[in-house]
Formats: sequence, C-alpha cells, structure tokens
Amino acid sequence: MNLLITSAVSDTAKLIANGLSGKHNLRLTDLPESATAGILANKLDHEAETDRLVADIEAIVNIGFQGQTGSATHIMDYHTRRMYNLLQAASDAGVRRFINISTLRLFEDHEENLAVTERWRTDPSAEDTELLGAHMAEYVCKEFARDRLIQVVNLRLGWPFDGSESDETATISSELIVAAVEESLVSDELAEWQDIHIQSAVENQRFITSTAAKLLPGLAERLAR
Amino acid sequence: MKVLILGGNGMLGPWAVKAMKSRHDILLTDINEPRPGYAGDYLKLSADDVDGVVDAAEGMDVIVNLSVLRPHRQLAFDVNTMGNYAMMVAAREHRINRVITSGPHYQMAGQQYEEWDFDLNPDMPPAPGTRLYAHTKALGQEICRVFSERHGIQVITLLYYNMKHSWDLSGMEPGGPEYHQDMTPYSTAWQDCGTAVQAAVEVPAERLATRCETFFVFPDLPHRKFNNEKIKRVLGWSPRYHVEGLWNKEFRTPPSNLHEAF
Repeated sequence: MNLLITSAVSDTAKLIANGLSGKHNLRLTDLPESATAGILANKLDHEAETDRLVADIEAIVNIGFQGQTGSATHIMDYHTRRMYNLLQAASDAGVRRFINISTLRLFEDHEENLAVTERWRTDPSAEDTELLGAHMAEYVCKEFARDRLIQVVNLRLGWPFDGSESDETATISSELIVAAVEESLVSDELAEWQDIHIQSAVENQRFITSTAAKLLPGLAERLAR
Repeated sequence: MKVLILGGNGMLGPWAVKAMKSRHDILLTDINEPRPGYAGDYLKLSADDVDGVVDAAEGMDVIVNLSVLRPHRQLAFDVNTMGNYAMMVAAREHRINRVITSGPHYQMAGQQYEEWDFDLNPDMPPAPGTRLYAHTKALGQEICRVFSERHGIQVITLLYYNMKHSWDLSGMEPGGPEYHQDMTPYSTAWQDCGTAVQAAVEVPAERLATRCETFFVFPDLPHRKFNNEKIKRVLGWSPRYHVEGLWNKEFRTPPSNLHEAF
C-alpha cells in the first residue's frame, strides 16, 4: 500500500515508519524547517504542492499529537489550517483512509476509576497546546468524515510509550502502536468516523480497549489480559 | 464597561458601535485604517496577532470579536480560527470574564442539519462540515468552548446570516434586493444585528444558563426552519425590523387593504 506519514521527524512517526517499512511503500513528509534527508519538505499549504504530495497515496498516517514542536501559534495553525489543507487535498485525490494518531491524554483529567470509552466526550486542556492541538486536529478530521469525503480512523493511543513503571496504567508498547496502525489500514469493520482507544493490557488498565479488539481483530489477543 | 472590538471595521462593526457607543467605552480595532470620520479610540490590529490582542485587551471588561474573512484559505484560518484563539488567550491573561464572538449560522447548523431538519436551535451540537467559512468559524468557536470550560470565561456566540438594510431590504448580494424568494436560512436588519451585540455585552450573567451560550440572531419568521426563541428570552433582544417585505407577497400591495379580514 502507498502510505504517506506526516510529521515524519517526530518520534511517533519514526516509530510507525520503522514498523511499516518493508511492508508498504512509505512517503514521509514534514515541514521544510524540519525535514531531513529522505523526508519530503512540504508546508501543507493549499497550493498544488500538497496535491502532489498525496498523489497516488492510498492511506495517510497523520501524527495528530506531538508531531510538531514550536510556538503555541504554530501548533494551533498546524492542527487546524494545515490539517484542513491535507485532508482537502487527500479527499480530492481519492485517498481512501486517513489514520489520525491522537492521544488518550485527552481524557487524562478523568479519574482513573471511570470506565472511559470512545463514546465519552474528550476534555482537552486549554493550557497544554499540544493537547489542544490534538483536539483541534480531531475536530477537523471529523468534519471531513461527516461530509463523507474521506474515512477517518482516530487512534487515541495510551501513554507513555513503552512505559515500565507499575503506576503507568495507560501505557502502550511500540509494538502495539505499529500493529494498531497496520490493522487500521486493512480493517473493513470501520465507520466513516471511527474513534479507537488503544493501550497495552497492564495491571489496573486505565482505558477500555474492547472497541479495538472488535474492530481490529488482529489485536484481540494482544489486548486480552 | 470597557469593550474591545476586534475586526470592528467590517460590515457589522459600525452597527455594533452605533448601538453601544453612548453606553460603553469602546476601543475599536481592525486590520484596516479607521473609516473616515470615526472619532472614537482606534487601534490598527489584526485579530490573529496574539500578542497585539493581549496588549489591547488590558483593562477591558469585554472582548467582542467581529472579524470575518471568507474566501481565502490561509486568511480564513488566520482570522476566523486564530482570531478567536488570540481573543481567548487575551481573556485568560487579563481575567476578562466575558467574550462575544460572531459567525454564520452554519458554523453550527451545517449542511446536513439545514437540508434535513426544522426548528433548528442554537443548543444543537455543532456540525459545520467542511465548507471553509463554516469550518474555520466552527474551529474558532470550539477554541472558545475549551477555554470557557477550563477558565470559566463567559462565551456568547452570535450567529447571523443575511444582513439587510432596513430601508430597502438589500444586503451584500449584487443586483439589489430580491423580494419574495426563498428566505431561508434567515435575514436580519443591520440595526438589529448591532443591538444583538449590545444585548450580549449587557446581559446579566445570571440569565445565562452556562458559561458558553450560542444564539441565532433573527426576527420572527414564518418558515420555522430556525428557532429564535432563545435570543429573545435570554438576551431580551427585540428586533425593530422584521424584514417582512422579503417574504410576504402582499406586504407592498395588499388587496382591498385587507378589509376582508373583518
């Protein structure tokens, strides 16, 4: 499958790209000020350059949380305007699926005893611009899905990645992140807008992952404790 | 009260100023030069200039964001989305308790609502879709909602659509006024658009059910596509112009002067 991965310089993108390389044709992109060798520099503006970026792409893996660094204004602009430009170009080009990598930290202020699922409203911070940006990226994605322009899988990942402390009840392994993306690329069980919560099966597991087990059946065994 | 108005030189700004200038101290701002003859306090400022908006907001009681930009993709996001972000950062920095923002009805009641449903009211979950103007304004409103939830800032969103001159019911459309056409979604006279801003600035906090309230701004209309009950009840807004000539085919030449009604 021809895949585009955004914010390719970020740790999350590198992790996913490493896991998918050799299995898919990867096109990596990031903003010109960040892009390094092997990564296509693209501003994600509304010009033809973004159209060319998504040409022949079958699915996009978008890093919607902690993909970018910089000022609050940059983070907000990236997760609103540039997301809109990317999604518009992708839908115009007929890209089939958009996998948005978001975070379960959008629920971090909920007490751990609450059985949070995909049907709960997120509660983003106004102070943590990365979290607010993740929320805004989800909002943009959802409207494209609502208009039936592109199918969006919104993967909210646990934190931290590969945590090892016993009190890290929402942790997720790198291996599970890659597997979740792979399954999201091929599942035919998904709605036009599909939230999926995913974290590793650990002691006192914080978030329910039954939706992931159901819609991404290749993960079911890994998600069962 | 001391009121900071962002984007005050557009179509709505002068009517909001007219409604409030004798009642409040206004600092009018806009990216453009002031209109000829404007004698009030004025600051040239782009609504998306976060630092500039924070500076301008110092000492203010209320911020009103009337900035609008529709067709250009970059500018639409800068003004409609980042403008509200700047406003909310400024409100947080200076502990300003009330902000008022504005936009089109379809930043909430998007295409699907409008094509399928009736009695649309401003307490529905927003479903703006991807049309640029609606989408960028909706993102701005969502930023306001998040800041409101986190900081308790009172957000009042006023949603308009067509704005008409009371004297001939013309608006911004080319070719002059059109009478007796489909008038959905809704139309409002400019003067009443301005007094809605005044009502939002002045409404006592105890009349607002939550810290984040939205209102459709239009006079009573017969089509019942949209519902304007809330703005009349909560803000006490009472339009003076009912734009009836737009939709009542007998408005200008009533047969028999309507004597048959008796």
